[in-house]
Order: sequence, then structure tokens, then C-alpha cells
Amino acid sequence: MPEIDPTEHDITELGPEIADVDDEQELEEMLALEKGGEGREGVLTLIEDRLETVGSDEETVDPETVDLTDLSVADVANMVREVEDVEVLRDVLERETAGKDRKGAKSQIENRIESLESTGAESEVEYVPPAEKHPDLDHPTNDKRYVEGTVDGDYRDMWVFCETQRGELIDVSREMLGKAREMMDGYNDDHDADEAVVAVLIGDGVGDLTDECLAYGADRVVYHEDERLQRFRHRPYTEIFCHMCRDWAVDWRDYHEPRYTIFPATNNGRDLSALVQGELDSGLASDCSGLYIEEADISNPAKTGAPGETTTFEKVLHMKRPDFSGFEYSTILCIDKPHRDFHPQGASVIPGSFEMPDAESEPDGEVVEHDLELPAEWFRIEVTDFDALEGGVDLTGNEVVVALGRGIGRDPTRGIELGLEFVDAFESADLGLSRGVITASYQFDGHVADYVAEERQIGESGQVVEPELYVAVGISGAVQHKVGMDESDTIVAINTDPDADIKDFSDYYVHGDLFEVLPRLTEALEAGEFDRALAAEVSDD
Amino acid sequence: MTDDYEHYEAVVVGAGPGGAAAAATLADRGVETLVLERGVEAGSKNVSGGLIYAEESAPYTIDGLFSGFRQGATERPVSEYYIHNVAGDRVKTFDLGDVHHHDTEWCDAVLRRRMDSWLAERVHERTRETGGGLLSGVRVDGLLRDEGEIVGVTCEELDPITADVVIAADGVNSELARDAGLMDWAEPDEWFQGVKAVVDMDPDLVDDRFDVPPDDGVAHLFSGDLFDGVRGGGFLYTNEASLSIGTVFHLDSLADERAEPHELLDSLLTHPLLDQWFQGEYHEREYAAKLVPDSKKAAHPSPHQGRLLLVGDAAGQMQAQGPIIKGMNHAVSAGGLAAEAFAEAQSRGNPASAGALYERKLEDEGVMATLRPTRYRLTRAVSEHDLVTRAAEGVLDSAVGRAGVRAFDGLLERGFNSPFLLGMIPDTRTSYVTIPRVVAEELGEPVEATNDVEPPALDDRIGDLTYDVGEPHIELQDNSWAASGTAVTACPVSAREFGGGCYREETIRTNGGTERVVSLDTQPCVECGTCAIVADTEWDHPAGGKGVEFEEG
Repeated sequence: MPEIDPTEHDITELGPEIADVDDEQELEEMLALEKGGEGREGVLTLIEDRLETVGSDEETVDPETVDLTDLSVADVANMVREVEDVEVLRDVLERETAGKDRKGAKSQIENRIESLESTGAESEVEYVPPAEKHPDLDHPTNDKRYVEGTVDGDYRDMWVFCETQRGELIDVSREMLGKAREMMDGYNDDHDADEAVVAVLIGDGVGDLTDECLAYGADRVVYHEDERLQRFRHRPYTEIFCHMCRDWAVDWRDYHEPRYTIFPATNNGRDLSALVQGELDSGLASDCSGLYIEEADISNPAKTGAPGETTTFEKVLHMKRPDFSGFEYSTILCIDKPHRDFHPQGASVIPGSFEMPDAESEPDGEVVEHDLELPAEWFRIEVTDFDALEGGVDLTGNEVVVALGRGIGRDPTRGIELGLEFVDAFESADLGLSRGVITASYQFDGHVADYVAEERQIGESGQVVEPELYVAVGISGAVQHKVGMDESDTIVAINTDPDADIKDFSDYYVHGDLFEVLPRLTEALEAGEFDRALAAEVSDD
Repeated sequence: MTDDYEHYEAVVVGAGPGGAAAAATLADRGVETLVLERGVEAGSKNVSGGLIYAEESAPYTIDGLFSGFRQGATERPVSEYYIHNVAGDRVKTFDLGDVHHHDTEWCDAVLRRRMDSWLAERVHERTRETGGGLLSGVRVDGLLRDEGEIVGVTCEELDPITADVVIAADGVNSELARDAGLMDWAEPDEWFQGVKAVVDMDPDLVDDRFDVPPDDGVAHLFSGDLFDGVRGGGFLYTNEASLSIGTVFHLDSLADERAEPHELLDSLLTHPLLDQWFQGEYHEREYAAKLVPDSKKAAHPSPHQGRLLLVGDAAGQMQAQGPIIKGMNHAVSAGGLAAEAFAEAQSRGNPASAGALYERKLEDEGVMATLRPTRYRLTRAVSEHDLVTRAAEGVLDSAVGRAGVRAFDGLLERGFNSPFLLGMIPDTRTSYVTIPRVVAEELGEPVEATNDVEPPALDDRIGDLTYDVGEPHIELQDNSWAASGTAVTACPVSAREFGGGCYREETIRTNGGTERVVSLDTQPCVECGTCAIVADTEWDHPAGGKGVEFEEG
């Protein structure tokens, strides 16, 4: 009995299993079993293919002793392809000449000899600068001193661009610092090194944020303040970043360029990352969601310089990024070539990819101000005008939320008016709406129409609120609405339908028509008698 | 320009049984195949009544293509098949075992989430070997054309993809079939609408109450006056640990009668006949709905155009002839044949001939003859004529007709069991309502039981479904009551006087008067497609991974 009975397996399982079977006898038995069983065509082909492969192995001949007259030209061609020793081949050639002296066979042997001899001489790829290799092409970067020629440069540290908005670090900056800290701690342990996380701050008044950068994981903060840098601008931001990490002569930066650079994949961060990495003559893995440092075994001859060899590259930043619109992930590596370094290894990071680190209360570290005169030429492009996007309505901060539902359908405009009057009677309150109102065909008069917008929607597909008091007015209380409000401290429902679901999760239920109840409650509230009025309404039930 | 796009030899759209069969057959023949599925997982968008057949005469069967299918993906075999003719509380039951077992190798009850996701895993493994694979969460939203010729597909989430063949197995509301102009949503009488409840039941109780062994099951059909004169019927299938209970109606009848599908389902669920199985316990796991094409009228005789081949529901390949309800098996056959046609056309160096070859195979293998019986087309003009219907109704209800029904008791049962006769059944009140009612009145025994189960209200059914709400995917083109009011009742998740559904009736004040209109909220949409037919809409599917997610299906 063979080890695997094919009749007990799917064809999909059999593929890999059969590939491991080397015994011809066993395969024959499997073939017989399948023929005796279902006789699936795919399985039979699979086993027969394997048999052929295994069978042909056994016919391997020894080129030093074989009688060439027994072999066809094709057999000779197959045989010599496996032979590495040129002396053996010459011997075979001699025997062929002395024997049948077939032209086809001889040319096969001669070709093999030639190919072995020529590869011996060229075991390393000869470097030809691109301009010489392809003289017919333009070489626009030819005069850039960093593109070609930097080999075995000194690279150290992980540089993190910390983006700010309105004088605050944005969250992704903190997330990146935390991740950088974690990676460099691991790196320093693994390589017994002492390389740093360097935070970069560029902007107006960013000097105030240096301590925060240290607290979130930086060893050193480099910052450049200038009131002209209040908004993100391509030229000066790029020039400053590159000057800091490549050209600036300071005693602690005794290397050519950073080993690693990390940017946020925000609108500004994406621009800056591409400009900086381009200027530093390296590559960029954009929009990454995972980073780690590890060694990598590479066999690509463009990287190793020697075809067929595998080289282990150390300290490689593995940059994971969603591909195919997020359905697959690729890991991008940025690795030096034999005649050209690719450093810094740079990535931009999707906000929210990494955990927000805990801030250290008394962080150690060094703060350095970057001193450079910024030439006026860098500011030739001016920001003359800008728009701030509407902030939208945030209902979450209110003590009271009054939400209107489809109960207003009889007179939608009046319903909104009553809701707004009720809202105004509270100190901290705002108006919410059920999805049913927002998606209705109700026609609202101009003065309330602006209030009917998705930004006021409460529920699963809108905002989730937990105010001290939630008043559900004419809302039946579907599950999708409930999840947006049922954590509220106190829930009051006003509804004409005593069977409405909302009643089940309200603290107080007012059975009544909102067009009558709301004005009474508003009046009571203004008179400071809300509790009593509510008690009266509830007991009306 | 199309050179820049990713290219596969074959793109299969939709990972239901038709798409799975096509993809597996393509992969087995070494064709590089990419499968795109818009659900978060295969099966999450799919609903069936729940029986899958393997027919002895079929060119392909699902377990032939996917060994282990019955063990891994189905619920229970269905060995017994009954129809209950109902009139009030009188019921006459016929054993339809003969028609059920005719040409049937096996038949199993299935729940689509489980079945389709099981298939998808295997499809992915097999297509990956060819350099392709299965991607879920991708909505294919149209055909890619180059100089008027179909060259691939466009997607909401990905760049366009070119292919030598596009197999559209994207279901009853196929956007590709409509893009190609091969199918439309014009005529309500070409469609059925089914709604279904999956009802929890312990496996031991299923065995016990249906009197079946632990690894066996049963199907019951229902017809008669259960449904307020709406043409259609009900079904109940036993699953491993649940029941699939549903109702299926002609959409034109449902629309004309302004019937509420969920209420019709409830009239079945609360009929005294079902008490023997519920015994007062009812826990609904999931409410679902789908459109069903009526292949007699909707099956496209030539379901291809250029590189596009339609398979399964997308091509209207759903056989519903009286008590014979078969769809998935035909989708599997069609998927296999479409794949085979492409592989053969490709190896003959003429991939463009795949469509014509597919059409020929559908004919030669008898698939088309089953889906569009000539008998039906020949007799339809007479049997569906109003006068004939009324005359038949008159006779049946007369003393003579009733005497005939009594006299031919046995013959009737045999008639129900004849696939030949069933292929001729006219789609009128007579077949669906009058005959079963008269049969039950004359031959039936009263059911002495009270069924006091309370199915959930519509808002709770909607609330129990899982949704990931994205952008509205359906646009109401005309919100007047005349144009779109039918959707308020016909939509399975909308109802008169119910504000939580998709379609809602509203009255707006206009200059000097009031106007009756409908408004639409796509949040509770179950993507059945009903409103595309009965209302004036611009109908699309939600983006990949968005919209309703069925857990049972």
C-alpha cells in the first residue's frame, strides 16, 4: 500500500503531497488505486506527470563513461546542460568526434563549454555609469552629485518629521515617535549600538513642542522656528529638512545622511516626504501601515552584484503598505546597490496605524535649534488666501440634546421651530435629528432648512451622544437610532404611539403630540419649572 | 490606453455557485482567473430559498466540481417533498416525492453564507494556482470598453481590469448584464420576489418534530388562500439547526395587490398548520429577501456579448415552474459550460468565439430547454388569457368542477408530480390560488391546532440585520406617488405607516394644496432590487463591503 491513498483526497490536497513522492513503485500503486476508484482525470494526470519526472531522474547518465552512440542529439544536449566541468565536456567532445561525429551534438557540447568559460570571466557585474551605458537617453540627474557615486556612506539615526497644526502636534506625529522609539530600542539592543530617534519640528513657534517630542520618544529634537513657516510650504520645508539631516555641520551629526526617515502620510507629509527623499537621492515607501527593522536575504543581482548569489543585508527597514487598494500588502525594502547607496530608507505612515504611546513625565534628551538664514528666494511663492473647511456640528459636548424624529411630519417646519425653541430654553443644548427626518422629502421653510443636515444626525450612521439629558421627540426608537443615544444619563421620550420601542429604553415617557407638549415644556423651562412640568406630562399618560 | 491596466485571462464577477463553478472550471483548465466579489465575504450578499440540486442529466454538479461539498457546505439532505393545499384551516397534502426525485442525484438544503464562503476558500486556492485569486469587498460597477468593444470591467475600489473573458455571475441585479443591455428591470411579470425567515431550532427538535433521522430532512410547500389572493406560495426547508421558511410571489401580483411581503410571510408563519413544528416556540435568526427571475420569460436565449458571458441569475437562469424551484444547479451548469466554452475557444486560438460556443453548449446540454420550455411558450397565449382564466375559475368553483376535483384526487397528485405538465403551468390565479383552494376545500381535513407564535415586527427584523451603511446607492428619480408609491408596499423592508423602512409615504404642502410623495432612505436596504422594477429609480449596488451583510443567507 502506498502511503497516500489518492481516492481519499481532494485533487487540491493531492498536488503538494504527490510532489514529495519520489518512489516510482509507490506512484504506480497510487495510479492503480485511483484507476480502480473514481478515476478522476485530473488526479491521473497529476500522478502520471510525477511518474515521468521521477522516472526520468533514474535515467541520469554519467557523461564521463556513457556510450555516446546510445544517445540521441537531444539526450546529449540534456546531459551536457548539467555538466559544470569544462574538462569533462572536452572529453565528451573528443569521444563524440571519434564516434558518430554528429554536428548537432558537437555544437551542443561546444556551446556549453563556451557558456561555462565566459561566465567564469564575468562572475561580477561590471559597473557602467548610466550615461555611458545608455548614451542615447537624456540623463537629467547626471550632474546631481548624490545620485551616483555615494557608496558605503555613513548613516545613522531615525529621523521623524513631526507635523503640527495650529501650534499642536498632530496625533500621527506622536504615533510615529512611539513607533520610532520602539524600533530603535530594538535596533540598539540587536546591534549593540547607540543610534537616536531625532524629531524634526519646522514651523512658527514650534519651540514650545520640543518637550512633548521628547516625552513621546525622541532622544533629540531639532527645530526651526520662523514666522514665515506658519503654513506648510514646499520649498523652505524641504530645504530646511535636508539641510538639517545632510548639510548641517554639528558635532552630534557626524554622518552623511540619516539611516531612516519617517513622515506622516498626511496631505502635507506626503508632499514633504517625496520632496525630501528625492533631494536625498533615495526612495520612498508611501502610505505605510507597518514598519520593522530586520535583516533580509536578497538574491537580485542588481542588489548583490553577483548573479546567483544571495546576500544578507542588515538593518533593513521593512515597510509594509497596502496594495491593490488595501486587498493585499506589500513589504517594501530600500536597499543599496553595488555602486550606489539608497539611504535614508524612508517611509510615510498612515495616521492611526500605530498605537498612541504614553507620554513620559520627565523625559531625557537634547533640544537643538537649527540655525540657518533662510534665503528670501525660498519664499517666492506666497500664500495669498485660504479657506478653512467647515467644522460641522459636534453634538457631543452638550448637556442636553433634543432630537426630532418623523413625528414632525405633519408640519415639519413648525416641528423644527418648536425643537429650536425648546433647545434655546436650556443653557447648553443642541438640536439632533433622526435619520428618518434627514432622508425625508419634507419641505422646510428657509429659516429652518439649514438645520436639517446630516451633520445633526444621531445614530449608527451619524453621531453618538451621551448627554445628561436626551429628549427624543417623535422618534420611534429603531435600533439604529438607539445605538446613538442610549448611553445618555436620562432619556425622555415624547411620542403619540404608546407601543413605540423608544418607550422601552426611556426613563420618562410622555404620551402626547409633540406639537402640544413641546411648547408647554419650553414654557415651563423658561419659568424654571421644568421638573414639575415634566412630572405633570408624564403622569398625564 | 487599456494597456496600462492589470490583465487576466478571465475575470469572474461574483462568488456564488455560478461564479465558483466557472472559476473552478477555468482554473482546472489552467486559465489565469481573477474572481471579484462585492460582499465582505462570499455569501454575505446572497439569499436563496435554500435547496440545491444535483441533477443526473446535468453537465456539471457542485459536488463534482468541489469534492466534499455536501459534508462541508450544506445543511441536510432533503429526501421528502410535500405540498399543502390550504383553504382557511382546511389542508390537503400531496406527496411530491416523484417530481422531487425525478432526475435528482441528490438535493440538500443550504444557507448561503456558509455555503458560499466554503466555496470561496476553495475557489481562491484553485485560482491562485493560475496566477489569479479571489478578492472580496470589490464591487464591479460596469464594463470596460475600448472602441465600443467590451475588454474588461471597471470597479469602484480598483483600477479597471482587462480580461479575455468576463464571466458575469453577479446575481439577479447584475450590473454587467444591464450595462451590456442584455437584461433590464422593465417588466414586473418576469420576476418573483421571495422573502425568508431563518428560524432557530435545535437539531434534536428538528429530527423529532419533522420525523426525520439526524442526517436527513424534508421540504414542505404551501399554496392556496393563505396569501390574500396574491399569486405565489410558501416553503419550509429543514436545515441542520434551523428552518428556512419563506414565501415567493409573482412581483406583478404583489405590486398590483399592494401587498406587504412581510405580512404575507407572517400569514404563513402563523398558520395553524405550522404549529406541529413550532409548538409555540419561535426565534427568528434572520429576515431576508431577493428577486427571482422567471426563466420561462427572463432566461436570455443568447446570454453573451463580445467577451461578456452571463451565468446564473444574471442571465435569468432560474427555473420556477409550480413546485419545481431550481436555480443554483442551473447556475453551476452554466458556470461550468461558460468556462469550458472559453477554454476551448482559447485553445483553438479564437477566444472571441467563447460566447457563441457557450450558447450552443447551453442548448446542447439541455439547460436552455429546461429553463424555457417550449410547452410553456406554446400554451401561454391561451392559458394566461384573461377570459380563459376566468372561465377556468368559473368551472373549478362550480359544482361540476368541484365534483371533478373530488373524482380525480389521485390523478391530481400525479399531475403535480409530472415535470411535463408542470412546465406548462400558466402563471395565473388559477394555478396558484384557485386549484389549491378548491382542492383543500373539497378534499382537505381541518387542522385542529392553534399557532400563537409572534414573528418579529418589521422594525425589529431590520434592526437584527447587520449593515455597514455607505453612500446612498439608490436614487429616486421620480418621488411622486404615481411613479414610485408601489415601492412602499412591495419593498420587503418598507410598509405603509412605517417610518423606519426604505420607502415612506409622505404628504407635502405645495402652493395651495398637498401632494402625496415617497421618500427613500437606503439604510435598511436588503438589495433585493424590487424597487428597481416597481419604482422609478437609478439603482446600483452599494460599494464593496458596504450595505447589508447576511449572516445566514
